[in-house]
Amino acid sequence: MIALESVSKRYGTKTAVDDVSFTVERGEIVGFLGPNGAGKTTTMRMIAGVTAATSGRVTVVGCDMATENAQAARKIGYAPEHPPLYDALDVSAYLRFVAKAKGVPRASIASDVDRAVSACHLESVFRKEVYKLSKGYRQRLGLAQALVGKPDVLLLDEPTAGLDPGQIQETREVIRSFGKEHAVLLSTHILPEVTMICARVAIIDHGRLLAIDSPAGLQRASEQTDCVALVVAAPAAGLRDVLLSIDGVGGVHLDETLEGGRAIRATCQVGAREGIEAAIARAVAGRFELCRLERQHPTLENVFLQYVQRRPS
Amino acid sequence: MSGVLAILEKELLTYFRSPIAYFVLAVFFVGTGYFFTYNVFLTGDATMNETFLNMGILLIIVLPMVTMRLFAAEYSARTMELLSALPLRPRHIVLGKYLGAALILLLLTAGTTINLVPLYLFGKPETTTILSGYIGFFALGMACLAIGQLFSALTQNQIVAALATICVLLGFWFVGYLQGFQHSHELRSLFRHLSFSLHYANFVQGLVRTESLAFFAAVSAIALTINASYLDWRR
Repeated sequence: MIALESVSKRYGTKTAVDDVSFTVERGEIVGFLGPNGAGKTTTMRMIAGVTAATSGRVTVVGCDMATENAQAARKIGYAPEHPPLYDALDVSAYLRFVAKAKGVPRASIASDVDRAVSACHLESVFRKEVYKLSKGYRQRLGLAQALVGKPDVLLLDEPTAGLDPGQIQETREVIRSFGKEHAVLLSTHILPEVTMICARVAIIDHGRLLAIDSPAGLQRASEQTDCVALVVAAPAAGLRDVLLSIDGVGGVHLDETLEGGRAIRATCQVGAREGIEAAIARAVAGRFELCRLERQHPTLENVFLQYVQRRPS
Repeated sequence: MSGVLAILEKELLTYFRSPIAYFVLAVFFVGTGYFFTYNVFLTGDATMNETFLNMGILLIIVLPMVTMRLFAAEYSARTMELLSALPLRPRHIVLGKYLGAALILLLLTAGTTINLVPLYLFGKPETTTILSGYIGFFALGMACLAIGQLFSALTQNQIVAALATICVLLGFWFVGYLQGFQHSHELRSLFRHLSFSLHYANFVQGLVRTESLAFFAAVSAIALTINASYLDWRR
């Protein structure tokens, strides 16, 4: 449904997006992660047809966005980070305008608008002017306009920003239900959200795509540089040397301030070797008083930071 | 075409749900009423000629207030992002907005016909001259709208858009006066052809000249084409 092939976007000498390629299939929700200024919004704008790629090819539902963006736009619902709303209109007039501009047949405009209103729980403000809406309602109206016209592809740029927990839950449900039959690209800073609703995650930084995989796949790949943390009673002279002598331990970080200096925490960078925890326990148990030992599985947050921090800022 | 109509409808709703349209209409009608009273009742001539000339200059001052928000407001409210993502080509957006503004111009034009009531009640004005004056007024207005809309697309700031439009329109209005300072026949001819006021004066005097109509149409078409091309280039 969405395909990017070696897509780049340059503004003068600045490269905002650099040689990015990925696809999003029907029935798939892909999370788009990256720090501020990483190129997420620019990539989304290129897919939405708002801006053209400098090089490479963006295809949406079979339409080349360089030449057929107007045809493709009928099949795209795009909710930018800042909801694009007309304050002078009321909610009803705004959504009817979007429906007409999207070419929804006159006979089905009312039902289409009702569907979007109901999905985003906007019934109570249907006749209200947009400028009177709270931030949460504005955000939901921004999402509702993207749903109008039953698009095949949904591009959501931080759709839950500014919503209260209840609204966030409802919005995630809307996205999840929509993602069953459509292609959804979701940009967000909320990492648990990605784990909850996305089948795959794309990580972008400095305009380059660093990784794209399922959240579990990214975590598994990251376990190559997993950690084992252990706590031993102080004093523990020679602990670092003992740990570094174990096959599979790549580095050791000691924290000697634990419990007022009565305990020492050692964090070992370990490889993918099976049974590394047992090997560490055996090596340590004879010489030091081992209080605790655990393997630390990376969270998506660790994975994200690991990818982003690898590159010089 | 449905895209153009959607934009047109949205523009009209936006005009009349904000005070700007009412303000523009009020200023223009009060100004026109003043000039009409001054020209007709003080001189005693049952003619609209002087009033039409005053209406022309008033239009140049007032219309930028209509056009300044057309694109600049879309940029500052970030709604241009929506328009660009909708299945609309730049020419559809430009045309929809232009037609919306043209309807405001039509309202302005229609509102001034109230002045004709005392003219016909107390005098015998030449209907064809008045008709010609109105054709010229509308053609002039359409050219001013196209230029104003173009300047609105070039900046995010509505005030800058309005001031730039007024400057350019005043330039087009007064450029004809530079003829007197030129020895070169070509330059004199160029200034005469570019002058809004000289072309408009033909209509006011009752001459519906194809050349003048074509001039206003060409100015409108060029400004609208640049406007659409600029939006395309921004992509």
